[in-house]
Amino acid sequence: MKHARTTLVVVSGAAALALVLTGCSASGSAAQDGPATLKVWTGFTGGDRPGYATIVKDFEKSHPDIKVDMTVQPWDTIQQKLPSAWLTGQGPDVAAVSSDPNAVAQYVKTRSVLPITDTGDGSGKINTASFAPGTVEEFTYDGKLYGVPANFATLSLYYNKKLFADAGITDPPKTVQEMAADAKNLTTGGKYGIALADNQTIQMWPVLQWLEGGDIVSGKGCSVVQTSAGQKSLSTWADLVAKDKVSPVGLTGAEADSLFSAGKAAMEINGPWAASGYKDAGIDLGLVKVPVGVDGKSSTLGSIAPLSISAKTKYPKQAQEFLAYWTSKTAQQKFSLQTGFPPLRTDLSDDAKLTADPTVSVFASQVPDARLYLPHVTNATKVDSDAYVPLIGEITRGKSVAEATKSAGQAIDGLTGCSK
Amino acid sequence: MTDQLTGSAPPRSPRGGAAAPDGREARPTRVRTRRFQPAWLFMAPSLLILGAFVVFPILRSLYYSFFDWTVGAATQPFVGFGNYVTLFHDGQFWNALRITLEFTVVSVVLLVVFGFIAALLLQRDTLANRIVRSVFFFPTIVSLVTIGLVWKFLLDPDIGLVGGITAALGLPSVAWLQSTALALPTIVFVSVWKSIGFAMILFVAGLKGVPAERYEAARLDGANTWQTIWGITLPSIRPTMLFTSMILTIQSFQVFDLVYVMTGGGPVFHTDTLVNLLYRDGFVNYQTGYASAISWVLFVIIMLISLLQLRLFRYDDVD
Repeated sequence: MKHARTTLVVVSGAAALALVLTGCSASGSAAQDGPATLKVWTGFTGGDRPGYATIVKDFEKSHPDIKVDMTVQPWDTIQQKLPSAWLTGQGPDVAAVSSDPNAVAQYVKTRSVLPITDTGDGSGKINTASFAPGTVEEFTYDGKLYGVPANFATLSLYYNKKLFADAGITDPPKTVQEMAADAKNLTTGGKYGIALADNQTIQMWPVLQWLEGGDIVSGKGCSVVQTSAGQKSLSTWADLVAKDKVSPVGLTGAEADSLFSAGKAAMEINGPWAASGYKDAGIDLGLVKVPVGVDGKSSTLGSIAPLSISAKTKYPKQAQEFLAYWTSKTAQQKFSLQTGFPPLRTDLSDDAKLTADPTVSVFASQVPDARLYLPHVTNATKVDSDAYVPLIGEITRGKSVAEATKSAGQAIDGLTGCSK
Repeated sequence: MTDQLTGSAPPRSPRGGAAAPDGREARPTRVRTRRFQPAWLFMAPSLLILGAFVVFPILRSLYYSFFDWTVGAATQPFVGFGNYVTLFHDGQFWNALRITLEFTVVSVVLLVVFGFIAALLLQRDTLANRIVRSVFFFPTIVSLVTIGLVWKFLLDPDIGLVGGITAALGLPSVAWLQSTALALPTIVFVSVWKSIGFAMILFVAGLKGVPAERYEAARLDGANTWQTIWGITLPSIRPTMLFTSMILTIQSFQVFDLVYVMTGGGPVFHTDTLVNLLYRDGFVNYQTGYASAISWVLFVIIMLISLLQLRLFRYDDVD
């Protein structure tokens, strides 16, 4: 009897354990027969979403032996789920790991991503030589390539034609000084000259800094915000926001977009994903290149979402084939026309169809001037969250630029391990 | 089987004797141990799941906190109490602790006071009171994320409803969540708005447990309303007070969803609570070891404050 009861305990315990374990590993063994199914995660929930769906659909059509199961979820969900999903072998085969290209570093560190080797200019190869400038370097660690761009967006200047006309301004600004003057003139009657977001957003302030002749981090990974050029580049627009109230303080990206969509802000620096939303909101929309900087040169932000392959994928060959197709000339041309994004390949820059498209051409024309935000800077995500975002927050709330940049500079140097 | 489940243990169970082949008497302790076995059997599935998904991760996080742990990294350097020492010198941690304490103290006091007042006013079971109580309780069942998003939109100074109303009244629009001075009070307000119904329901239940004779006796002795509340109601609902304030304190210390949705810890860290900091370090910067250390410090703080509350409300006292 005692024996029987012990057995019962063991059996029920084992049953419960089995229950728990099967719960964990239900998706563990994928079928090896039949077509390979690539699980893909992306965070493209915006207006560009259908463009990626087209890429997948066309890929499946031309590759009948490979199925693609793409899941779209918000970026912060991916950020929470992907690291552990990949480590436990449960994650997708391919993922756009973040909207922030620097995030690849983390996955390289945890050995979660596969080095991409199937490169070259043959058909079915990933043609890295054709990628927009800076992209290959951005995803290369220790000489190995760990990602390809899922897209390459540049930022342009959106403006509200009606508000410009109401203020008696005929042309959109061509220089950063004109943009500042316009922002002041357009700030009237409860309307703002510009919607400048400084947190949870695509980076707008670095663009202003570049136009005003400043930067955030030097090539050696040392802060330059506290230098005289750095301070000067920040103070113009900090004053415009803090004193002239050309933009509300502390906007998130979504808030800035809402403000512009509501016709309450006359300008916004933003990427191609925003165009459809603004048009749907009924804005009399103008779109031009970001005005040239104080030195007469153009600068804008280039934004890349990295597309990487899981180190644990069962289909490394098929996954690379998929990336090769995603970044191919045909797929990119179609994608650009559908979404307004510039092509991520330089060999499409003078493509007749793309240059004829009024939206694509504006974004594409700025690809050569595009710069990345904190490229290859150590602890880039922390530099952003702990130093740069608070810095902008402080100076737009009236703190002295000299003081704020001094402490931000120290924080940045501490994070990057700057060696002067 | 039944003999083992009845209340008093027999001095020598017949089965116990049979189970001892060498003729020695089974010791009572052994009998008692075996009597618990069926209970363990029934609890096994729950215990297993709790063990695997609650107890194990909790202990594991303690283990992580002694390492410079990065999920999946090739090496996980042992740092002993290094994370805790770093934490002690981390300005962001102290800032987050201060903000969490401010949030907790203000929101718990407001919730207990207003929850109690609401319960007093609405304790009688009339139809109107039931409706009002339900309305008060509605926000409690809605997820914090939803509430955060809705309020964030309502409070938007330029396109929100509140801003629209103040503008219509000719008042200036207020940047509730963008102002460093107003962001935390605004989040406290939303949190109180959400949980006041919960506090009220607990107090209503507590008030219903107070015997009516006590009030009657007090009235006969000539006590006025205020004296009745002070002398009868409050002492009688002390256990409810304790439970409510403890639950609310623990909840408040763990405030995250509202902050994450409404301000993300901003502006300039003015609403950066401990759990928000923990989330940022653990899930944005992937410093699992450091984030684990924060969570254990938070655990110790909550435990100490709960003990303090037990003392404060004289939990052990017999009336």
